[in-house]
Amino acid sequence: MRAEAQALKGHLDVLLLAALEDGPRHGYAVKESLREGSGGRFDLPTGTVYPALHRLEGAGLIAGDWSVVDGRRRRTYQLTAAGERRLHADRGNWREFAAAVTAMLEPGPWPATT
Amino acid sequence: MAGHHLIDEYLADLGRRLPADRVDELADGLLETWQRLVRSGLAPADAARAAIVEFGTAEQITRAFVAQSPGRRIAVSMLASGPLVGACWGAGLITAKAWTWPVPTPAAAVFALTLLTVVAALISAATSRSSYRRTRLGAAGGLGIVVLDATMLVTVLLIAPVPVWPMYVAIPVSLARIGLTLRSLPRALTHE
Repeated sequence: MRAEAQALKGHLDVLLLAALEDGPRHGYAVKESLREGSGGRFDLPTGTVYPALHRLEGAGLIAGDWSVVDGRRRRTYQLTAAGERRLHADRGNWREFAAAVTAMLEPGPWPATT
Repeated sequence: MAGHHLIDEYLADLGRRLPADRVDELADGLLETWQRLVRSGLAPADAARAAIVEFGTAEQITRAFVAQSPGRRIAVSMLASGPLVGACWGAGLITAKAWTWPVPTPAAAVFALTLLTVVAALISAATSRSSYRRTRLGAAGGLGIVVLDATMLVTVLLIAPVPVWPMYVAIPVSLARIGLTLRSLPRALTHE
């Protein structure tokens, strides 16, 4: 669902880091991981995932390496120690935020104001 | 290299816009996409069209790379910090009556011309939206700023008769800018 792309903007970095948590992946595999992990909701234009990976690499959160697969050059990324720390911190922040929003949105009794 | 002429044409378009390393990486992902779609039962031409749609237009990808390019980021940071550093040096030079210093006129003219050229290069890189080549000017401009800052520091050290107070601000600000720029430059020079 491409409409989700706009809503993803503020969370793309942490999602990309999470996609690399289980081990090294190349750009297309990262994109597929996002799509499959979200049940098809986060289906970004593939070409725009690569610049975001380069930005994370520039920030030292992931590291890229070239290899040759089926005669093609392939760049594979993995989390750095700084990337793991960022992922851990962002995940904690997200859980707190999501819990607060859920608490507000779930129907329930409101405190009496007399 | 590619599996279909539509993909070849698309990659050739990207090759005219982006550095070779970027295109190699995109080509790998695009061919993976195409192969997956062919395996799923699409005809090669239909799979190529669908893969290209899935990737986004060449213009869209180029704009995303331009926005993230290290050269453009350097240019934006140089232009953002430029007025502050310039104001510090301007105040220092005026307070110290720099026009009375024994600086040869041709040297001062070369400095001014270099400064204008560097600022023009930085503006060009920072305002680029769809030209990756223009973002490379950011690294050149950053290098120019380092040279200009160093020239100012050496000039003041060797020629200024008595340091004046605005220079006590300008000198550390310039040194900090040199340090930060030199830290960013290797990536901008090697990743473009």
